[in-house]
Amino acid sequence: MIQRARSNHPLRFSRRNLLRGSLGMTALLPLLDAQRAEGQNAAPTRLVVFTTPNGTRNSLFWPTGTETNFQLNKITAPLEAHKSKLTFLKGIRLNDALQNGALGGTVGSEHARGTGGMLTGRPLNSGSEFKSFGNTTSGWGSGQSIDQYLAEKLNPDTPFKSLQLGVHVRDTEVRARIAYRASNQPIPPREDPKDVFNVVFGAATGATPGAPNPELERLWAQRKSVFDLTRGETNRVLGLVGREDRVKLEAHLAAMREVEGRLVGTPGSSASGGGSRCLPPTLTAVNLSVDDEYATAGQLQMDLAAAALACDQTRILTFQWSYSESEHLFQFLGKSGNHHVISHDFSASGANFEAYNAIQTWYAEQLAYFLGKLDSYKEGGGSLLDNTLVLWATEIGESTQHDLTLMPYVLAGGASGKVAPGRLLDFSQDRRDNNQLLVSIAHALGVADLNTFGDPSGAPGPLPGLVS
Amino acid sequence: MPRTPLRRLTRFEYKNAAHDLLNVDATAAADLPADEITNSFDNNAAVLTVSALHAEKYVLISEALAKLAVQDLQRLVACDVAATGEEACARAFATKLGRRAFRRPTTPADEQGLMTAYQAGRTDGSYAEGIEVMVRAALQSPDFLYRLETTSPVNAEATQVPLSAYELATRLSFLIWSSGPDDALLDAAARGELSSKAQVAAKAREMLAQPRARAAIAGFFEQWTGARRLDVTTKSAISFPDFSPTLRDAMAAELPAFVEHVLWAGDGSLKALLTEPVAFVNAQLASVYDVAAPASSGAALQLANLLPAQGRSGILTQAGFLSVQAHPDQTSPVLRGKFVRSMLLCQPPAPPPPDVDITVPDVALAKTARERLAGHLAAGASCNGCHSLMDPIGLAFENFDAMGRYRQDEGGVALDVSGEITSATDPGLAGSFVGVRAMAEKLAASSQVRACLATQWFRFAAGRSEAEADECSLGAMRDGFGSSNGNLLELIVATTQTDAFWFRSPITP
Repeated sequence: MIQRARSNHPLRFSRRNLLRGSLGMTALLPLLDAQRAEGQNAAPTRLVVFTTPNGTRNSLFWPTGTETNFQLNKITAPLEAHKSKLTFLKGIRLNDALQNGALGGTVGSEHARGTGGMLTGRPLNSGSEFKSFGNTTSGWGSGQSIDQYLAEKLNPDTPFKSLQLGVHVRDTEVRARIAYRASNQPIPPREDPKDVFNVVFGAATGATPGAPNPELERLWAQRKSVFDLTRGETNRVLGLVGREDRVKLEAHLAAMREVEGRLVGTPGSSASGGGSRCLPPTLTAVNLSVDDEYATAGQLQMDLAAAALACDQTRILTFQWSYSESEHLFQFLGKSGNHHVISHDFSASGANFEAYNAIQTWYAEQLAYFLGKLDSYKEGGGSLLDNTLVLWATEIGESTQHDLTLMPYVLAGGASGKVAPGRLLDFSQDRRDNNQLLVSIAHALGVADLNTFGDPSGAPGPLPGLVS
Repeated sequence: MPRTPLRRLTRFEYKNAAHDLLNVDATAAADLPADEITNSFDNNAAVLTVSALHAEKYVLISEALAKLAVQDLQRLVACDVAATGEEACARAFATKLGRRAFRRPTTPADEQGLMTAYQAGRTDGSYAEGIEVMVRAALQSPDFLYRLETTSPVNAEATQVPLSAYELATRLSFLIWSSGPDDALLDAAARGELSSKAQVAAKAREMLAQPRARAAIAGFFEQWTGARRLDVTTKSAISFPDFSPTLRDAMAAELPAFVEHVLWAGDGSLKALLTEPVAFVNAQLASVYDVAAPASSGAALQLANLLPAQGRSGILTQAGFLSVQAHPDQTSPVLRGKFVRSMLLCQPPAPPPPDVDITVPDVALAKTARERLAGHLAAGASCNGCHSLMDPIGLAFENFDAMGRYRQDEGGVALDVSGEITSATDPGLAGSFVGVRAMAEKLAASSQVRACLATQWFRFAAGRSEAEADECSLGAMRDGFGSSNGNLLELIVATTQTDAFWFRSPITP
């Protein structure tokens, strides 16, 4: 009898050691820089992409009323407390770039296309490398996503150029990846709160405030030697391989550059700051393989995300609930059946109709919690939320139709004054391309000279009237 | 020849290679993100890249593993420091470690690099710390993390470049062990014992007989069936209260046990894989199959004969497979039919076209899946064009619920498990049947299924999709598989006899 070779999915985090090695968490990663969080003259502008799966139901999603005087609908009612900080974007289509784009792609299902396209503005790849006759697992995203573009362009001096967090994402197919460094380079999210805590806030606990840590300093020096060595070797190999493979090794080198700063520290800086008000959230145990603990896992990840932004550990963050086409269960809401099947129920009288509404409302409650969290961090005369642009997105529009012509996008926050929220922008009589939203996001984050993003078939320029 | 892409180790390969290199528990490798799945396999090179998350974990995991490795320094380094001296011992170890980690003899530059790492640990630290940092450096090296095939061709104009003996040994070991070559295999490469196809076939058979081939080969079947996803499979506690984590673990353990039974204890045939009515059970799993619990209560699963009346049929009615190819709350004849159509017949259906009306007819009163899926038929060609390729196959599985238990009715309605395979290229598959077992008998006898399995194995072995120029290699694999009467081990051996295995593409400038 053989033992099964366990794949040891990260879900099984109960087996993982919180402390690895004698240095424990202090060895892991960055010391929180209290100066960074507290000494900023002007708070930076942040971007958060917050995704929930399986579309929406237009009739219960969109507000009614005028641009500045509107009433929230049933599914978005939990956001009432934040209404003045929301911007509804009605009339954005994702279909054009994805279906009529340069690759002519109708590759993959709408769920997969929407997932790979929402932040890249591009169709999925097809072609010989993914010869699969167009089934849902065919090609991956064909270009860089806006979050990664901004991380690269703005290159902020933060320990994490960007952070990808997920809750019960679990899947590793096309429908589970929204962030792309480049074509065919999806970025997996971190799903384990313990992992996020360790890497983002590891050094904040356990270290003696004020005292330098010689062991940590030595580890840093050793890491630096190995980084130097590995970089040299990778550059050598780079000269031995063909064009396509060089792209991969260059990505590897870029990934090393991205993590090196926080892994090797700065000599002489190992003393923990202590007394920072920038405190990590409290970590509680959660079983990631249990659907009923979705809310607990999600709240931990949202707390960590908000704290990471508040502490300026990163300014670009994606936050992904489950995967597109999600079959997550919502028995904790008293609903039987799985989300995707429920999302296809069309009957306005059926049990699934109510179940779908309940699930969508629950997701809006999660967003409301997150926005509340961001708003609770005061920065200057406003809040962290005021200095952030949050995009709430999902991979399709009307769920029963797999629609890609009317995406249920909502923005929250003010992007440090670049966006005046509390509005319903209605382009539904004159549809705008998803690419234009991505351009607007870049403008809001301070990249003013960007005119097009994603597939060239997308209309140029930003969404009118969104970013000042 | 088609481009042979640079292959990054998968998480599974990294874990095995690190374990075999250092002889330590490599569980820490689980901290790597799960690999992206393309066409059901997690090793398609096109999408396996190194993100910042990978880069971070490569550092942290190497530190955890190196720490374990130096706990028994003498076993690891095997050098008498008192007699030989620290530096000389470290140097000898660099040569030994580098050869195994990089899967080829080390160059002076490799040794110098590893010694630089050693010095980084030795300075202000101990000899053991020096070795520890050297191990970290080896695990973070691109020569370890990638399967490099960069030996300069003798003929710079060659359109297909022969591999070096070490590169061939590396392909063999990852093909059969999902790990790097051991010292014996590297020695064989050094002695020129991998020079002819006959030698390589003999070596492949020898390697397949080793115990570590089993988990690795089972890895193919876990991915092919989708059963590897059991780790992330959940079931409704309302409908399936028995689907506990321990039962799920037993299901996950059954597939490799069954594969071992068929490939190494049995006749190794595709027919046995698809039809043999046996299971491997513990008490929990026995109850799913309605068979007696094994007498011994140990952790190992025990062979059990399944009830003929249930019509169970090899891997196709395993609880793990049936659980994965289902929804959390109900069966999915679509998913099961799609599996057969895509992975056994190599005719994957297209996704719904963008303009299709996917409003499903109201089926609230439907008691059975057959009634629910009648909507596809009723909707006409826009749905049924593709669903007719899946649904009639998947409905034959309806005697088995979403966690693999046998049932004769659903919602009080007796189940009709008749099915049909339409539009197959093998005319022998045409016609209707009743139940999975009858379908499996047809599939097991089909040349289309054998050819498809060869294609699936090619994708897994090559880490890429097949191209037209691979037709010759694919043909050789099909022939080898067919002439051995569908022997799955011989399919693996046949893989090692192809051009796709012996050559790489030239470097594109």
